[in-house]
Amino acid sequence: MISIHGFSKQYGDVSAVSDLSLEVERGSICGLLGPNGAGKTTTFKCLLGFARPTSGTILIDGKPLEPATFERLSYVPERMALYEWMRVRDLIELQRRSFKHFDARRASDLIALFRLDPQKRVKRLSKGQQTAVAIVLAFSIAPSLLILDEPASGLDPIFQRVVIDLMIDAAANGATILFSSHQITQVERAADHVAILRGGKLVLDGHVDALKSSEKIVEAIFDHAVPPVDGLATDIRVRRVERSGRILRAYVHAGSDDIARRLEELGPRSVTVLDLNLEDIFLNAVEAEHIALPQGVLQ
Amino acid sequence: MPAVFTVDPRSGVPLYLQLIEQVKRAVALGALGAGEQLPTVKALALDLTINPNTVARVYRELEREGVIETSPGRGSFVRQDGMPSARRSVDDVAERALAEAIREARSLGLGRAALEALVARLIDRWFPPADPQESSTL
Repeated sequence: MISIHGFSKQYGDVSAVSDLSLEVERGSICGLLGPNGAGKTTTFKCLLGFARPTSGTILIDGKPLEPATFERLSYVPERMALYEWMRVRDLIELQRRSFKHFDARRASDLIALFRLDPQKRVKRLSKGQQTAVAIVLAFSIAPSLLILDEPASGLDPIFQRVVIDLMIDAAANGATILFSSHQITQVERAADHVAILRGGKLVLDGHVDALKSSEKIVEAIFDHAVPPVDGLATDIRVRRVERSGRILRAYVHAGSDDIARRLEELGPRSVTVLDLNLEDIFLNAVEAEHIALPQGVLQ
Repeated sequence: MPAVFTVDPRSGVPLYLQLIEQVKRAVALGALGAGEQLPTVKALALDLTINPNTVARVYRELEREGVIETSPGRGSFVRQDGMPSARRSVDDVAERALAEAIREARSLGLGRAALEALVARLIDRWFPPADPQESSTL
């Protein structure tokens, strides 16, 4: 179990993460989402003890990091740091000697699964194959804690699915998993819990299914111009309101049925509650504006 | 596994709701019979490539609603009396789908009379009225 409380990290004047609190339960898979520079990698570094938090506490299974934690901890960094001159089998051997719980049989099964050649030197592997090696090493120590920074980068869709299956298998056996990914569909499948960072701050945190149940767009279409709606824009359940012509859209994070009933009282032609998938929820949370292609770029 | 479930993780409908409905549908239609064993949480999670806690929640919910029962160490099974409650839920699904279609038709500007005529026509297509001559010979 990972418990992060009031964690902040400053680099000089730059605040990389501020006041982050996050819990990932045992057996849970948490997807950490955020635009580049949101603070995901900084969080991973502090979680692993590679950097010291400026303030706040980070506990693993209720305790600060200690050497024994690393026996069962696997970390796959965004940028692989493998010994390039080694052969795949040498890396496996190094891992075997470094970890008490290393499972050699599982490692060779995974090598075969990813169709890796153990004789090949790391520098001769493609980016995807290097990712696969890192995944093999990570999942061969029966980890109880997995920190995965973009764990499927460079892999084709078939092997991406294998990585997700490995995560599901590990979580079903009780592992705690925190991973980041820009591929929201992977998060939507693998994660039961998501945390969304923006500019070093946690902007949304919850169970994927709970977020999908509560984050909605309530759309009302009127026969004439949209009438004024008292207090809608200031309602704490409403993220924002958009009006265009005869259409009103309220982006809500709770109480969609209640807000739909309120709009219904204004006699619109229709009121519809629209579901949002995780990508919509993510984009709304980080308030990313749709970047339209400028004329010069369009073909 | 006797029944194949499909879920769409990219949908805005929570995965656990999708899966609950799928299992109930399978039970209501008899694709999953009384006493039949369901896959383990881990097996179904891997089969659908979805989070195991989501599957565990589905099983808990189905157990609470009296559709399945779980005995520790043995697994989860469709209850002997699981079909009626699954049947009721599936009827709820039908009602929700129809209500949604009617609301949509109204928002497209159909009046009550036009909508009733449309519904009557569609019902006739799926449930053809008995041929009067044929029924007179019975």
